[in-house]
Parts: sequence; structure tokens; C-alpha cells
Amino acid sequence: MREKQLRLIATFSTATAAIAMERYCIENGIPGRLIPTPRQITADCGLAWSAPPEAEEAVLRASAADRVAIAATYQLLI
Amino acid sequence: METVKVDALGLACPQPVVKTIKALEALTGPAIVETYVDNETAVQNLTRLAQGKGFPVRSEKLADAHFVVTMEAAAAQKDGQTPVVCVADRRGNTVVAITSDAMGRGNDELGHQLMKGFLYALSQLDELPKTILFYNGGARLTSEGSLSLEDLKSMEAQGVQIMTCGTCLNYYGLTEKLAVGSVTNMYSIVETLTKADKIIAP
Repeated sequence: MREKQLRLIATFSTATAAIAMERYCIENGIPGRLIPTPRQITADCGLAWSAPPEAEEAVLRASAADRVAIAATYQLLI
Repeated sequence: METVKVDALGLACPQPVVKTIKALEALTGPAIVETYVDNETAVQNLTRLAQGKGFPVRSEKLADAHFVVTMEAAAAQKDGQTPVVCVADRRGNTVVAITSDAMGRGNDELGHQLMKGFLYALSQLDELPKTILFYNGGARLTSEGSLSLEDLKSMEAQGVQIMTCGTCLNYYGLTEKLAVGSVTNMYSIVETLTKADKIIAP
């Protein structure tokens, strides 16, 4: 069984915002990846950004970027 | 045309079929016969009864444990020879994955027609699939305005799970427009596909 890791999960209200987040993070070297929203979380959009918890500041900054709007963030063992 | 309602709620097979045959035999001319039942097996058996007689038939899930099967009876059925068919369940463990609103590649207009025909033919099978998954452009088929809703509602009433990817509905702006079945996520899609005996991806 794969060992679970603590991750910072950012959720979005639209799939378009989640896809814009991925583009912005790749362009700006912000760590993380797009994953299907974990079941423990209820979100409008089924795509979420999963990043190492220490990247929280950079992830939150991304929310100000064009078309990226983070709905909520969580710390989850996944 | 006359409409005859048959209340078979709370009845197990073969009672809903028997009551419907009696209603058909009492007809004096062409009529619409609506049978109300509370279980999917009854919907399946009533659908088979109508198909056996060559009557157009559709069904719909009105609420949990509340279904209506509507058949257009051509004429009075007085032969008294209708066999009462009662089969346990028509669903196999097949999953159908619909990834687009067009079937095949080449021309989308043709593809839309093919997909509509595919879903119709699927609804006519003797053994229905257990689940139909809709993702990416497939989400348009379960939303308002889809020309396949009648076939999909018929299958849903017979117990086929109709599941549409929520991310896809969101992406296409169809979240409020889902017209049949339920919303699912990637974890359920993966589980459904991995547990299937057979997957059909037209």
C-alpha cells in the first residue's frame, strides 16, 4: 500500500479555473499537480490542485492570477 | 386516444404484468396504457411484454421506488393468449463508457446520429448494461436538449445506473442542466471501470 502524504489541496468552483491554475503553476514553477478532487472534500469542481504543504504561500498567490480563483484550501493526508 | 392507468405499486412480479394484460384485454380500441410500479424488475418485464406485442414502449423513474411504463396498445387484445413472462433481472455486469457525443471519428454530424442510434439500440437489448458512464463530450447526452433522454430514462427506470462526470458538466456549463441519472467523480469512474466484467466504449 502506498504511504499517504500530507498535501495542501486547493479547490475551485469551475473546471476552467482549475485548468488555469495548472497552466499558471507550470509557467511559474509552483510545485504541485492537478488531481481529481479527493472524496473527503466537497467542491463544485472535480479537479483540485495538490501541492506540498510548504508551498502554501506560492499556491495562494496564484489565486490572484488571471482566471485562477481558489475556492478553498485544505491540508489532507492522501 | 384513451389513456388507461394501471396501479401496480407494491406488487411483485408477475402481478404487474398480469394486471397490465387484463387492462390490455379490456380495451375496446387503441389506447395508451400507463402502469405504475415500484421496482425495476417490474419495469423490465412490462417493457418485455410491450416489445413482445410490438407496442411502442417507454419508461421513466418518477421518484425512488416509483416508475411508470407507458405503452401504446394498437388495438384490443382479446386473444387471452398473452404469456406472462417474469424474469428476475435483465442487467449484466457490463459497463458502457461514453466519451463523446459523437460515435467514431470522421464527421461529427454523422457521429451524433450514430451515437443516438447506439443508445437506442442499447436500450433494446435483452440484457441491459449495469452502468453507463458519460464523460467529456458525453456529458452533453445526459443534459437538457439531448435527443437521447427518452432512451436513457427508459434504461434508468429498468435499473441501469446512469452516471455523468461532474467535472465535465462543470466544464461545459451543464451542471444545472443534467436531465437523467446522477453526477459522479473520477474515483467512482475508476472503480466502476475496474470492477466491470466487460467495458464497451463505442
